[in-house]
This record gives sequence, C-alpha cells and structure tokens, in this order.
Amino acid sequence: MVSLIVRRFFQLILLLIGISFLVFMSMHIAPGDPASIIGGPTASASDLEAIRESLGLNKPVLVQYVDYLSGILQGDLGYSFQTNQSVADAIMTRFPNTLNLAIASMIVAIIIGVTAGIISAVKQNSWFDVSSTTIALAGISIPNFWLGTMLILLFSVTLQWLPVGGLNAPFYTVEGIKQLILPAITLGTGSAAMIARMSRSTMLEVIRADYIRTAKAKGVRQRGVIWIHALRNAMIPVITVIGVNFGALLGGTIITEQVFAINGVGRLMIDAIAARDFPVVQATVLLVAALFVLVNLIVDIIYALIDPRISYD
Amino acid sequence: MKKKITFYLLVLLLAFVAGCSSSSGSDSESAGASNVPQELTYATTSDAVGLSPIDTNDSVSSNVIAQVYETLFTRNPETMEIEPLLAESYETPDENTWEIKLKEGIKFQDGTDFNAEAVKYTFDQFMDEERAAPRASLLAPVESVEVKDEYTVVIKTTEPYGPLLAALSHTNASIVSPTADKEGDINSEPVGTGPFVFEEWAEGDHITLMKNEDYWQGEPSLETVTLKVVPEYSTAVSMLETGEVQFLDKIPAEHLSRIESMSDVEVQTKPGTPVYYLGFNMEKEPFNDPEFRKAVAYAVDRQAYVDQLNGLGVKNDSIIGPKVFGYDESAKDAGYPYDVEKAKQIIEENGFTGQKVTLLASNSGSYMKMAEIVQSQLTEVGIDAEIESMEWGTFLDTTSEGNFEMTFMGWTNSTADGSELLYPNLHSDNIGSSNRMRYSNEEFDALVDESRTLVDQEARQKKLQEANKIAMEDAVWIPMNHDVVSAAYDKSVKGLELDPTGEWKLYNVTRE
Amino acid sequence: MASEALQPNVGKKPKKRESQLLQTTRKLLKNKLAVFGLIVILLQMIMAVTAPWIVSYTPIEQSLSDAELGIGSEGHWLGTDNYGRDMWSRLVYGARVSLLVGVTSVVIGLAGGITLGLLAGYYKKLDGLIMRIVDLLFAFPGILLAMLIIAMLGTSLINVVIAISIWSIPGCARIVRGSVLSVKKQEYVLAMRSMGASDIRIILKHILPNCTAPIIVFATMRMATSILSTSALSFLGLGAQPPTPEWGAMIAAGQDFMWSSPHMTIVPGIAIMLVVFAFNVVGDGLRDALDPNMDFNN
Repeated sequence: MVSLIVRRFFQLILLLIGISFLVFMSMHIAPGDPASIIGGPTASASDLEAIRESLGLNKPVLVQYVDYLSGILQGDLGYSFQTNQSVADAIMTRFPNTLNLAIASMIVAIIIGVTAGIISAVKQNSWFDVSSTTIALAGISIPNFWLGTMLILLFSVTLQWLPVGGLNAPFYTVEGIKQLILPAITLGTGSAAMIARMSRSTMLEVIRADYIRTAKAKGVRQRGVIWIHALRNAMIPVITVIGVNFGALLGGTIITEQVFAINGVGRLMIDAIAARDFPVVQATVLLVAALFVLVNLIVDIIYALIDPRISYD
Repeated sequence: MKKKITFYLLVLLLAFVAGCSSSSGSDSESAGASNVPQELTYATTSDAVGLSPIDTNDSVSSNVIAQVYETLFTRNPETMEIEPLLAESYETPDENTWEIKLKEGIKFQDGTDFNAEAVKYTFDQFMDEERAAPRASLLAPVESVEVKDEYTVVIKTTEPYGPLLAALSHTNASIVSPTADKEGDINSEPVGTGPFVFEEWAEGDHITLMKNEDYWQGEPSLETVTLKVVPEYSTAVSMLETGEVQFLDKIPAEHLSRIESMSDVEVQTKPGTPVYYLGFNMEKEPFNDPEFRKAVAYAVDRQAYVDQLNGLGVKNDSIIGPKVFGYDESAKDAGYPYDVEKAKQIIEENGFTGQKVTLLASNSGSYMKMAEIVQSQLTEVGIDAEIESMEWGTFLDTTSEGNFEMTFMGWTNSTADGSELLYPNLHSDNIGSSNRMRYSNEEFDALVDESRTLVDQEARQKKLQEANKIAMEDAVWIPMNHDVVSAAYDKSVKGLELDPTGEWKLYNVTRE
Repeated sequence: MASEALQPNVGKKPKKRESQLLQTTRKLLKNKLAVFGLIVILLQMIMAVTAPWIVSYTPIEQSLSDAELGIGSEGHWLGTDNYGRDMWSRLVYGARVSLLVGVTSVVIGLAGGITLGLLAGYYKKLDGLIMRIVDLLFAFPGILLAMLIIAMLGTSLINVVIAISIWSIPGCARIVRGSVLSVKKQEYVLAMRSMGASDIRIILKHILPNCTAPIIVFATMRMATSILSTSALSFLGLGAQPPTPEWGAMIAAGQDFMWSSPHMTIVPGIAIMLVVFAFNVVGDGLRDALDPNMDFNN
C-alpha cells in the first residue's frame, strides 16, 4: 500500500509537469494577447507594449515557462494578469464553493443513484425498475445548462421555493443548503444516472450469487440479506463511478457555476481562458488535474481496502 | 414495505421544501413593510478588473470607481454641459495652459486632504510609463501638472488640447488618495473622495460599499451597495424578479419584454452616447474600394436591425451620435439609404457578385445579432458572407492587428466628446492600435486635429461636423445603431438617474 | 506458410460471428427501449438525408417581419425564431449537423483511441508511455480540454469536432487496451505468434475483431456524449458559427427568449434529449446483448 502511494505520488508530479507544459504552450500559441484585453479597445500601441513588458510577456516563451515552473516549485503560483492579485488567493477564495458544489452533487447522485439502483435490482422488471432505468437514461441525456435554467424557472421564479443563484452562505446553514439544492441536482443528475445503472447491475449479480442464495436458504430474512451482504458489494461500482466521474463533475461545475452565478473555480477558469490570464489558467487547470488524480488514488486505496482480491502490481 | 419508505422520503422532502418556501415567504413580507433597509444590490455579468481608476479601463470597474472616487469635472446628464465637481473653476491664460481652482476642505476617505498635491500625484501616476495606465492616452497631450498653491493646479499641454475638460470628467481621470496609493494597493482597496467607501471585495462574487458618513456634499441615503457577479443575464433577470437583486443595467433587447412584464420592476431608458457600427478593413481588397462599401451600405437594412432592439437603439446614419458633442442634425439621414436595387446594381457593375467576405464578430453583446442579420442581407444582394466569431479578447487583438475584412464594434463615448470618438478610431495616427479600420484620409485627419487643438467649443463643433461628414461619405463605418441606455430596478428604488454614457451614480438613490 | 495453415481457422470465424450478430440483433430487438432508440436514430437519419425535400424554407432564410411566430403558425408549424427563420427547417438541418459532428468526431476519436489502445496493449514497451499520455488527457475534464483546444484553434464547428475527437481518445484507448490484454493471452494468439505471423496481421485479423463488441458499445454511447458536448460548447459560445442550425446553439440562443418564445429553446432541447437518449439506450441495449458483463465507463 505504501509503495503504491509513493509511486502514484511521483506519477502525479510528472503528470502535473506534463500538463503545465501543455497548458502553458497552448495558451501562448492561442491567438489573443492579454495586454490588449487589459488595455481595452482604446489602448495605443505604446500602451500595449508597456503592459506587455510589465507582465513579462516580452521574454521568450521557454524562458517564461522555466520562470513559471521555478516559481511553482517555490510555492509561488504567480499573479493574475487581470487583477494583479495572487493566484493562490484567487483560487482559495473560490475553491470551497466548487468543493461544496461537487460534494453536494455527489451526495445527491449517490442517494438517488444507489436507492434507485437497489430498488430496481430487488424489484427487477417492476414498473419501478423500468421507469427508473428510463429516467436514469434520460437523466444523462439532458444538456445540464438547459436543466439548470428549467429548474430555476420552476423552483425559484414560479414556486419561489429556492434562491435563483449565488453561493455565499456556509453549507451547514439552512440558507447554504437552499442555495446548493438546485445546482447540486443540475450537476448530480448525470452521475446519479450512472450510479443507478452500475449499482443495479452489480446488485443483480450479487443477488444471484451463491452465498446470498445460501443465506436465504438458511432463513435469514430477505431484507437483512440485501442490506448486509449486498450493499457492501454494491459499494464498489459506486466508488468506481465517483472516481471516473469526478473529472466530468469538475468539468460540469464550469457550466453549473455559470448558470447559477456561483463564484467557483470553474468560472474562474472560463473567465481566465477568455481573458488569456495565463497564470490563472495554468493554476486552475493544474488544480483540477491534481484533484482528479488524487481522487482516483483514494478510490484505488478504498478499493484495495474493501476488496482484498484487488492488487496493484 | 419498500413503498412505505419511498413514501416517507417523499413526505420528508416535501416538508423540507415547504419549510423553505414558508420562510422565504415571511422574508418578502418583512421586506414589504414600510421600513425598507437602505441597501441596494446590483447584478453585473462580469467582475470588476480592478478598483483603481489609474489601472483599469472597463465598464464594470468604472461602475464601482464612479461611486468611490470623483473627478475634477463632470458632465451634467441633462444638459450635457461640463460642470466642475472637485474643481471650483478654471481659467485658460493661454491656449496651452489650464489653471484649475479646487474646492477646499474636502478629505479623502482615509483622512488625507484633497488638494493640488493630490491632483498632481494622480495625474503624474496616470501618465507614468512604468505604471502603464491603460487609459493614459486621455492625457497624452499633457506636458506637466504643477501645483501653484494648495488649491490651484496648472496643467500645461504640448499643444492646444480642446477636449481636456471632457478628458478630466472621464471616470478613469478620478483623483485618488496619494497616501493610499503609496502605502497600499488602491486597485484592491480604493480610496477616493466619493459618497461610498469601499468595504469588501470577494473576488468573482461581490463587492460591497458602505456609505461615506463624512461625504462633503452630505451623506448618501443608501447604507450599503453590493455589486453581485451573475454571469448569465437570464439568471440575473430571475434574481430581479425574486428580489435577490434590485438593479440591472444594459438590458439586452431579448430580455426587455420579460422585465417589462414584472409588476415590481421599473425600466428606465434614455438615448445614449454609445455607437455600434459595421466597419471595413481599409487596407484590404475590395473593402478599400468605396464602391464596395457603398454597395454594402445600400444592402444593409439598419432599420430592420434597430426594430429588433425593441426600442433599445435608434437608427441614425451619423457616426457622431445625437448625444455626443459634434453631432449635426442634418447628418441623421445623410448616409447611404437601404436600397437593395442600388446595391445589386453597384455589385453587378463592379463585378463584386459572389464576392466572399468574412464578417468578424465578438461573441459578446449584440454583435452576433448584427452579424446574423447583415450576413443574411448581404447574401440577398449576391455577396457571399460568412460569420466568424471570437471571444472578446481575441477579437480585440485580431482587429488591432488588422486581420479581418469586415467587423462589428462599438464605442461608448464615455467623454461624450466627438474628438474622443474620431481621433482614436479613425485618425491615421492610431493605425495599428485603436484605429482598427486603418482609415487614413488627410483631409479628415486635419479636421480632427483642429477639433482637438482648438479651445473654442463652437469652432470645435464645426470641425467635428465636417469630419463626420467625410467619414460618412467614405462609408468607413456604417452605424448599425446608436444606443439607448437602459436600467431595470425594483420599484422601491428611487432617484436613480442614468447618464447618457450608460454610467450611473448612486449618491441620490434611496429605497422606499 | 503460416498464414495458409491458419486458413481454416479464419474461414470459420465469420460464420461464428454471423450467428453472434443474429443473436445480438434478436436480443436487441427484444429490448423495448433499444427499439425505441433505434427508431429515433433512424428518423434522425431520414431527416438528415431528406432535409431539402421535407422543408419549405432554407434554415438560414430570415424574414424579420415574421420573427418569433409560435408553434402552429401558418406556414411554420414549429414557429420561427427571432430572425423569422423556420424552426422546422432548422430542426431538420440541425439533425444533419448533429449526426455529422457526432459521427466524424467519434470516427476520428476511435481511430486515435484504437491505434493507441492496440499499440499499448500489444507492445509492452510502448504501454507505459502511451498510457501516461492517455492519463494526461484523462486528467483534464473533457469540457476544459475542449475549451483549451478551441482557444488555440479558434471557434468553428470543425474545431469542435477536433476537440471532441481528442476528448474521446483516452476512453477508447483504455477499453481497447483492456480487450487486447485479455485476448493476447489466449492460446490461438500465442500459437500464431510462435508460428511467426506478423504483428500487424495478428493485430488486424485476430485481436481487433475481438475488440469490436466493446468498441461498438463505446462508439454508440460516445455519439450521445459528442452531441451533448457540442451543445455545451455552443452554450459557452464556443460551438458552431451562426447561422448554422446546430441544436445546442439553438438552445443557447433560445434561452434569451424563454419568456417571449419558449418554443425556441424547447424544440431543439427536446430534439437533443431524444437523440442523446436514443444513442444511450441503444448503447445500453447493445451492451446487454453483446455481453452483460462488459464493464467500463468512459
């Protein structure tokens, strides 16, 4: 286990260096000059040159990259071209929102997904099974920006049950929970559908498995059988989905944050890409990639703990 | 058994939701009572870039800056005349010298005295090359700023500079507290003389301002002002409907009917200074051919486009708009009128049939709408037009480098002075930067130069009118519309007055 | 010589696979949802092919005086959009665009993914390097990857296709690699290798055919993802250029008219949902029919 973690950690560092290089180069190749965005439509050629110089953009790209990398190694993520504020601060103020949103939507996804999956499996081919399978598939078929707007229209504007947008109250307050509900549903629907499908099929397998039959034959009450034996096994696919879906979820926050006016890393990222704010793009992409890899590492560890048969050679 | 559990879950969920709804209901009831909190929340689609007038140049930042800082002069939104604000009066002993008397006894929000030193400090910083102020060109002709006595500054220019007062009334020429700027970063913690004091900036989420109790004109009624970032306009409109925000501006035409249907919301519109246009790259074939540009002008039905704006724009052929200094009523319909037959005739005579053109448009604002309508109208007369859209930043870069054929752009005219429109956009001095169309016409240049160097306002007006006519004849810009600036706010908001530039000040606003 | 010796074996295979094909089809047709999906896909294809004959306006023809007509208006049974363009015509031509984008991006993505997957699975030496590259691509959320690519290449439908193709590569590569690893160890492959059959021959004739089932399922599901992703990019203003009748762009444009003309966003919204749903259920059905134990997520 320890060697697994150590090895993965080194892989993570290599991966991050690779990603930082890719992103750095792609931003510099991309048309669009940060200086002309800061200068605005009125800037003169000399204004632009002065801005470029103050940002260090007139040095060769490779020199800039090496500077950047050595900065990161010293824990310095640089300063935003746009606001001139520390990138680390910019991320730290937004990251909790994104994390809350991601966790809340995972919770929504797990609750809906596991419940639906298990009930469908136990009552295989019942009306519940058929309709939940259909709904699950429909769930991953809805463009989530569209779903978000529809939810706002229904629950916030028409019924006035929940606030339209924003996420500024702490998540443990009633206000915070109310603010999280719609975005979490919007973002969690896709994952819920996937979890439902996965847990249904594993549950089916588990139910048909020999040891369950034996347990039933021994007269353990059916409900007990399901909850005790089956649930633990059904956890495995759920964990897989969380790992695999986490990247998609982080990607999804980009759109969800946009629709619900949530001040998160996703929105920071699109704004930065549009403004060619290189240091911010770099840092946010690295953060997202590192998170994704970390979550998958944790998933692997949990895997190994739950199911001793899995080994990592 | 299973069914029961699902049922209980549903009941729980409903109870929870109902609980939420009842609590929000009581919220709105208390808000309806006579004691309205003096708070105002404004929604903006993007965050401010910075809060220092010296270091920024975007409209969102200006919205905040205009509440915290003040300028020496200001343009009266009603009369469009320039009036002193922090200044008391001015004199021009010779055409290159401006002696400005300042109001006495004003203090910055950090206690620093407002005086000639502060003005000199601000403008020196503004013109400092190291500081690279994005709007430095406003004061480009200024040679020096000197302190004559505690409350008198003398501005010397290298050549006569007619629009100086207009430039000094620009939000970016606001006076900053020298102490605050030296000791801290006014871009994140602004200090000015204005009616509101900066409180907090949660980047990307909101900016909070508090009332300045010691404001020299008396304290404002609003206790707090919050600028909330809401990237999707439709979300912002929903928030206006539910009362989460009370104030929106720059209403896109497609949202107007929904906003107007809200019973608790008032809409204010006013003819404004911004102009939106279709422009040609004058250094490329066939766009440098006046016949081609004329054909396009005849082919584009500006009225049909303006009709799409639901009243949030007016058609006017003049490049200098009706609310801008230098406008001439007779220019209103002096452009090339919509005439498909004429357009087709010119196209046929000159062999432009099937000419491939790319319409470059930024994917923000109404530019895509302009592009879609113009594309379709050009197709009708036999020009094969394609649309290419870009993000705003890439767009600015691409157009200033001249990598386009035809494009759509706008100009806010934040000084409402025609020289500040024609000089940056169409004078050959600025080819390669803000003269994106790369228009170069000596006669036009000379007139614009004169409009800038003359100090007599009437003579300036004449020069601008003549220059305007030349550019119209050359059809270098085809104005799509002149803006009607707009704001929507909760009925409890009183005293909000839009400036024709689209800017606003909250000093006189109260909630009832 | 070696190849001759293998003839009987190769000759047998197609027959076996044909019966498998029949079996799969039968299973698939029993699945009501999948049949529904097949019908929707078929309808979309018919719409795409016959587009010019089933509409009376071109999708880009504007008529500003007839803007925002509602559903059921005379001459425009699905109404018009804010430029007075016929919604039915845009919907029909949009079917073409979404199929085209879906198919091309999936085909390009598969080509890349299969190549990488085969190489990684078959050649142990390449495995490490290729899978690290795949991991690298995988660690980006897809939409972010697409945004970066479009920032670099510019906004156009072709670049969307490229971005989405690249986004499909890592998932496909992993699946193919997995299948290759399991097939590679089977006896007949080992036998052929020892008999000196060339690598290319083994890969193309024996390993690849054994990976078809997961690839087909992946491709079908991927069609759904591609269509959804295109619409998401259009929502962010990074998709098809107007006036192209792309469904996602139509939804995004229509959202501003939600109150005055809800049909502008609901019509294309339903179209996307139906089509994406169709590809998903068919993919799901195929997976069940081919091999219920197939286990992957893209």
